[in-house]
Amino acid sequence: MKYLLIQAQQDTASAVDTLSRSYADKWEAAKEIEEAGVIMQAMASYDLIFVVLAVSLIIWFVLLFYLIRVDKKVSKLEEQIELKTLEKNHEA
Amino acid sequence: MKLKPWKYIVAIWMTGVIIAGFLIPIPDIDILQQSARNLFLHVPMWFTMTVCFAAGLVYSIRYLNKPDPVMDRKAETATQVGLLFGICGLLTGSVWARFTWGTWWTFAEPRMNLSALAMMIYVGYFVLRTAFDNPSKRAKIAAVFNVFAATTIPFLLYIIPRQLPSLHPGAEGNPAFSEITAPELRYIFYPAIIGFIALAVWLNDVLNRYKKVKLQAEQLTA
Repeated sequence: MKYLLIQAQQDTASAVDTLSRSYADKWEAAKEIEEAGVIMQAMASYDLIFVVLAVSLIIWFVLLFYLIRVDKKVSKLEEQIELKTLEKNHEA
Repeated sequence: MKLKPWKYIVAIWMTGVIIAGFLIPIPDIDILQQSARNLFLHVPMWFTMTVCFAAGLVYSIRYLNKPDPVMDRKAETATQVGLLFGICGLLTGSVWARFTWGTWWTFAEPRMNLSALAMMIYVGYFVLRTAFDNPSKRAKIAAVFNVFAATTIPFLLYIIPRQLPSLHPGAEGNPAFSEITAPELRYIFYPAIIGFIALAVWLNDVLNRYKKVKLQAEQLTA
């Protein structure tokens, strides 16, 4: 089995450039990848592997942020419960 | 209300593992090609799942030894997190199989089907738990079931797949590390296993604390 989708993108620069080609007449700032900034050129290098890395990191950081938030919420509840049990014991 | 320091270490460690896993140059491996990097993601899922299920087994045995609701809670949590990682392992394996074996699922691959079977056994653990209203009865029967469930794991995931012909990388009757595994992959593989297990410990911690607080809140309002 041949990987047609992947082969179609072997030319990384042209793969990146589909958008600017389609909208070239509407988008005056569109540049060839060679003229793009250093960061954009770096992202487009090595068959776009950095794009996948960026996507993976976004997912990881979002999940991590959520986990930390839940952890802190539980900590807060723990403190509240501790306070309430202290009060209850005090009353008794 | 601060996060424990080791959790920051886990967060940074895992971030490093992901970045390094994508960026290190890897040797050209036939068929696998760049998907060999799945070794850093898919394989640790199963290692982490095994560790979680083993922890669940220990807690279940401790519950049977001396009935303590805390042990039942910890056994349930460890099994939950283990099942979560196991399902991630199945899903990531299926995606990978689509592009190397050409199919999302094949009944010809023993490792794939037996791990799905193992997941079903653990799903049964949670179904069983819902069947009891009496907490101590639920805890006891669930602990007994968990001992049986955990006993199947070494056979379903490690022994039987190695006795059968398999297309899975690292198969052919040998341990998972064969000459197909380039040594440089291990520099990321081992840290990835440590990172994912630490992440599972973190998840266990949050879940256990949540269940404890929930119980305390119920007792306070009652």
